[in-house]
Amino acid sequence: MMAAVMDQQLQDLERARAGDSGSFALLIEPLLDPGFRLAAVMLADRTEAEDAVQEAALKAWRKVRQLRGDVGSLRSWFLSIVANECRMIRRRRWWQVVRLAAPPPAPSPAWRGAEGGTDLRRALLKLSAQERLPLILFFYLDLPLEEVARTLGVSPAGAKSRIYRAARRLRPDLAVEEVL
Amino acid sequence: MASQNFRRQLRQAMDALSGPPSPALSARVRASLRETPERPRLYWVAGVAAAALAVALVAVMLVAQAGGRLGPLPVPGSVPGGSTSPTPTPPSSPSPSPSATADASPAPFLCAASRPLSVQPAPPVAFIDAIRTGTHPGYDRLTIQFQNGAPGSIEVRPQDSTTFTESPRGSTVTLAGRSGLLVIIRGADAHTAYTGPRDFKTGYPGLLQAHQVEDFEGQVQWGLGLSQPGCYRFFLLTSPDRLVIDIQTS
Repeated sequence: MMAAVMDQQLQDLERARAGDSGSFALLIEPLLDPGFRLAAVMLADRTEAEDAVQEAALKAWRKVRQLRGDVGSLRSWFLSIVANECRMIRRRRWWQVVRLAAPPPAPSPAWRGAEGGTDLRRALLKLSAQERLPLILFFYLDLPLEEVARTLGVSPAGAKSRIYRAARRLRPDLAVEEVL
Repeated sequence: MASQNFRRQLRQAMDALSGPPSPALSARVRASLRETPERPRLYWVAGVAAAALAVALVAVMLVAQAGGRLGPLPVPGSVPGGSTSPTPTPPSSPSPSPSATADASPAPFLCAASRPLSVQPAPPVAFIDAIRTGTHPGYDRLTIQFQNGAPGSIEVRPQDSTTFTESPRGSTVTLAGRSGLLVIIRGADAHTAYTGPRDFKTGYPGLLQAHQVEDFEGQVQWGLGLSQPGCYRFFLLTSPDRLVIDIQTS
């Protein structure tokens, strides 16, 4: 069953590389959910997150011939494009705030309504994008460490230390074994 | 238990920010994909053109920089066999490792690991702006020059092999030779002011190859491939600030 799915994905990838946007859409479809979750936490704004995912999908489509490796590396490749798009939006947002003096986006209702773990959420929002990303990949999207590393473009050991460092920013008393 | 609590709370915090995407997202992405033709070749051509332009600009800057800085202030090691008169300056803090001396009174060669050389005061980040190699009677030399002061700490570690780990990628690279030296420069970067090669294949008797293995978060590391396990010395010179590493050849 799994082999059949992989074969189908491989064929879709070949067709996408040949210029078939429908096949590319089939490949990217299951990745929209994790891509959106990543962007939403990175940007703390659902509307911007959807824009980021849409733009990332277009960029991935334009670069699909540059995708190295097989279909197994598609998810980390796409998520790294989403993360880059989020970084660009954050930079652009800073510029827009300065230029337009617009107030920052209001937190979502779900955010305001939740009581437990408020300190943790505040601390999460204070993290830089670079610190937030490994936590999202590992704890929220449940990616294996090797895939986190591929998405970040670092070694598994490097990914591990980034996850631990960022987690320690949230809870300074955490031991390594409690995080990884 | 604490671990599970942390994970759960973190997931809840992230879920409160995100939640599932809108059901319309998929259709929106599909529609935009249909409307956007794939143009990889045009992007490829544009990329090549941009890269060529960047290379031309860098070349012009390098020529301008070399004409303005290196001409009047030659550095030992920059020209094989060239004899210059560098300004020797001891390191600001005492250290058991080789200290700052000039060719007139060279530091002794070490044949084992040495302790790090600390520099105070040092800029937050020392910008590397030139790297040169040279060969001289009795030693081969690698010179790493800094634009705005010497870096906070320098360490040189001998090793039995010429295989080094590239950071932060984690991949390994094997250099020419039979033994290696790892040069660790803390409080420095090689991407702000330096645009030259990251790999030198010299063909000298002692120093066969020098290769940058890290330039990340204020730390720069270079791996050196040596023709045989040997002795070395390292010290700082000023005007301009530079780190000199000599590999003994006889």
